[in-house]
Amino acid sequence: MHTEKINEDERAEELPDEWWYRVYLGVIITTIIVILCLGAFSRYFTS
Amino acid sequence: MRFLDWAVVVAYLIYVIWDGIRMTKHSGDVEGYFLANRSLPWWAVGLSVMATQLSAITLVGTTGQAYSDGMRFIQFYYGLPLAMVILCITAVPFFYRAKVYTAYEYLEKRFDAKTRSLTSFFFLISRGLGVGVVIAAPSVILSIVLGWDEVTTIFVMGLSTTFYTMVGGVQAVTWTDVKQMVVIFFGLSVVLIIILSNFPAEVSVGDGLHLAGATGRLTTIDTSFDLKERYTIWSGLIGALFLFLSYFGCDQSQVQRFLTAKSVSEGRTSLLMSAFLKIPMQFLILFIGVMVFVFYQFQTPPMIFNEVEATKAATSRPADYQNLQMQYEAAHASREQAALNFVSVNRQANEAATEAAKQSYLQADAQFNAARKNATEFIKTTNNDKSFNDVNYVFPTFVIANMPAGVIGLIIAAIFAAAMSSISAELNSLATATIIDFYRRHFKPEATDTHYVFAGRVATFFWGIFACIVAMYSTSLGSLIEVVNTFGSFFYGSLLGVFILAIAIPRARSRGAFFGLLFGILSVWISSRYLDIAFLWFNVVGCLATVIAGYLISLTVREDNNAIVE
Repeated sequence: MHTEKINEDERAEELPDEWWYRVYLGVIITTIIVILCLGAFSRYFTS
Repeated sequence: MRFLDWAVVVAYLIYVIWDGIRMTKHSGDVEGYFLANRSLPWWAVGLSVMATQLSAITLVGTTGQAYSDGMRFIQFYYGLPLAMVILCITAVPFFYRAKVYTAYEYLEKRFDAKTRSLTSFFFLISRGLGVGVVIAAPSVILSIVLGWDEVTTIFVMGLSTTFYTMVGGVQAVTWTDVKQMVVIFFGLSVVLIIILSNFPAEVSVGDGLHLAGATGRLTTIDTSFDLKERYTIWSGLIGALFLFLSYFGCDQSQVQRFLTAKSVSEGRTSLLMSAFLKIPMQFLILFIGVMVFVFYQFQTPPMIFNEVEATKAATSRPADYQNLQMQYEAAHASREQAALNFVSVNRQANEAATEAAKQSYLQADAQFNAARKNATEFIKTTNNDKSFNDVNYVFPTFVIANMPAGVIGLIIAAIFAAAMSSISAELNSLATATIIDFYRRHFKPEATDTHYVFAGRVATFFWGIFACIVAMYSTSLGSLIEVVNTFGSFFYGSLLGVFILAIAIPRARSRGAFFGLLFGILSVWISSRYLDIAFLWFNVVGCLATVIAGYLISLTVREDNNAIVE
């Protein structure tokens, strides 16, 4: 019983994979935007 | 350093040691001492991940690099977010659910004890020597800047960190890391504000950025595909991707961080925190270096930032040194005038005049750089030191010379914090691998938790002393640092290859993993001798060689032998 309770608690803490895939996509898109912003920053002050 | 500065440094050291020691009460059993009972929140783990990676030499070295070369180094981190995403999908759930203490323990579950011991052994060798360098590099700089004896600096930094890590275990490492990150970023923010407020009245931050941009110091994307070039977008997105996958996913000093998280989700979130914050954080550090460059357009910088070497050369050949100093100051005065002219003309939006002023400024900057290069060559020949380079001294020397009382102490404390946060995590991981992968596995499999915790403390103490001794020798043997760094780059890609074989290739067998690892290291060694490529690409070579060789060797093993352990 005790073990089952722990397992249920552990599962409750974990978020579903679909949610994580959306987060990963968000990280990749944010990274691309950050790199593009850094590139624009460089170009603006270099030109 | 005035009384207030010393007070800040001493207060920092006392607070960190006390903070680490008070974690002892949470470290009574094996899981508590090595993994904090898998109870830590994601933000503490995430800050610890970042603090472990941010060593003192990264802090002072990259600001100095930005001062002399600009922001190109930021490209090194472009592959990091993707690496974190891949690790969140693969390594975090694999290691966490396997309930392992070390990354290498998983390799025994998947392959055999031999593969586990070999990878853990390579980790102990490379990381054990590496932590010596992590102590040595800032100690050399701080000893010169503070006027301390080198050995004293090494032991103050090394033993104080060893003490609280030994007593408090991973809890002490993580919670002191959190506070150390606060000290580092508070210190850096104060310095940035003071630098910006010390620009001449007629020069704004935007003007300063135009000056830095004109010299190419704001380049953040280099799209040229040159394998010899250390920092391009390709070496960052591909070469560094492999390095980060290996460092964050296979190096115990980082794996142990996310194993302490409350759950797989919290472990993932802690890594994604780095994915979001690492590039902006590195941008801030490099930006400070660039702002130091702008500051020195209007204040004469030291001709040589390493004061000890400069004094040595000046004493040896005073007339020549004086002559160089005069040329240098004249070149700086010309550049200052050209910079002020460029700033003034740039505001008038006259394209032709701006371009002419920019060219004039760039010419003056080139003359200034030539004067500084002459001085550097003079030091090399006079002091008989061909590898002389004072880039790492730029930031500490700037702080000592230009910051007010209290802020100097704060920055010295921040440099100590950066060093100690890396050292503590590395000592803790070395002790964990020693006890879990060797002592408990091969010598004393059945013992009480109290015994293993005691053994963990002894191992931490041993590695702390070992690191201090390596640090003492590596300050005088420059080549040792090179050997350690080279060995690290030989090992990382190949280690990643073994974990790819374990996690992603079901047909891989223990013989393939074992000999694949050795073949990968050999391939990198051959590449380093016969190919002229930047070190980041060694990670790609090592990883691919290990995976291909490991897979082919596995094909020679019967399929039912060494089946996958779920």
